[in-house]
Amino acid sequence: MTVGQVPFGKFIALLSDSGLRVRVGPFNIRINTKSVTLANHIYRLYESYKLAEDEFAEFHVQVIVVHPKRKIFSPHIRFFVDGHSPFPPFPQEQGLTALEWGINLVIAARVSHLLLFHSAAVERNGQVILFPAWPGSGKTTLCTALIYRGYRLFSDEFGLMDPDNGDFFPIPRLMPLKNESIQVIRDYLPEAILGHEIPKTLKGTIAHVRPPKESFMRSEETAKAKWIIFPKWVAGSSLSLEPLPDSEAFLLLASNSFNYEVLGEVGFQAVTHLIRTCSCYKLVYSDFDDVISAMNDLTD
Amino acid sequence: MTGAYWRSVSFSSLQIEEWGGEFTVFQPNSGKTHFLNQMGLHILLCLDRAPTSEDEIFVFLTDQFQLTLDQNFSQQTIKTLHRFDELGLIEKVRPESLT
Repeated sequence: MTVGQVPFGKFIALLSDSGLRVRVGPFNIRINTKSVTLANHIYRLYESYKLAEDEFAEFHVQVIVVHPKRKIFSPHIRFFVDGHSPFPPFPQEQGLTALEWGINLVIAARVSHLLLFHSAAVERNGQVILFPAWPGSGKTTLCTALIYRGYRLFSDEFGLMDPDNGDFFPIPRLMPLKNESIQVIRDYLPEAILGHEIPKTLKGTIAHVRPPKESFMRSEETAKAKWIIFPKWVAGSSLSLEPLPDSEAFLLLASNSFNYEVLGEVGFQAVTHLIRTCSCYKLVYSDFDDVISAMNDLTD
Repeated sequence: MTGAYWRSVSFSSLQIEEWGGEFTVFQPNSGKTHFLNQMGLHILLCLDRAPTSEDEIFVFLTDQFQLTLDQNFSQQTIKTLHRFDELGLIEKVRPESLT
């Protein structure tokens, strides 16, 4: 059963009372909030998330409306995970941003049995392309273009790898487009479903993309990576897809991981195996049609 | 003048992978991964065989890589030795302990 199949009244009751349990990749997350505004956004954008009723939830998150002393007439919201709040209050209209960033933080900080790369990941023909990149490199925008052109979303944020066997876990979630990227995607993909624009966040204006239903329906199908591509969007550039030396790819990938050093020898062996079994490239692009065509050629 | 003596530290515990002439070295003692070129790895290999003086290291490396031994090369090599020392890959040996 998915969120969209729950009647709205029951959905609100769940969210505000015992919590809405949803499947987020290999994890179950229980979300609790009494904010009706946030509930409306979640109901629309989480439509395809699978419910995890009666299942154990690894993470319990809450978004609570608060009234800061100095802003008594300006309600804010706070994000809590297992009773602790890692962020200062957010303006109430940024509730969805707080929830999504909070879940990111929880995954990055608490998942230690998987190797976590800061990377977008998509799948085509049964094999995963990793796009490791730091914030601001445009990986969410690229990922959005690819998943609306036939690629299955694993994540725009995390490459989640089982270090024992090299399997990657899909963790499809909302994808936060930022600033100019919002209009770029609206123009290129009029069919893409975006949430409302949330201005004045720490990262500027954000609008969340709702990934296609198929990515959620197949969210339990793991796959191995075959390509590691370090992307960079450069205005006006022509497409360039150049092989990257394995040693450089190792360095970039290991330093891009959230928990490579924490995993120690396991991390070293896993990254070594990953680099040995993947082809590594550096990608520079500016045009979506060009990059999709290049990715199709690579993955055909 | 033979300079200080050096030896490797826990060389056998290192995990070394080659990537076309470059090397990733995982050091379990620190949990760190180091990136070495061929010369860096040869220094570790040399010091794993036996404690070696700086002069002997210079000669070993210039032979291996067919380089000219000059002051610049010596200084660069000493810098590398000290860097490896900081990383815990090698250590200085007191001359009296060699006898």
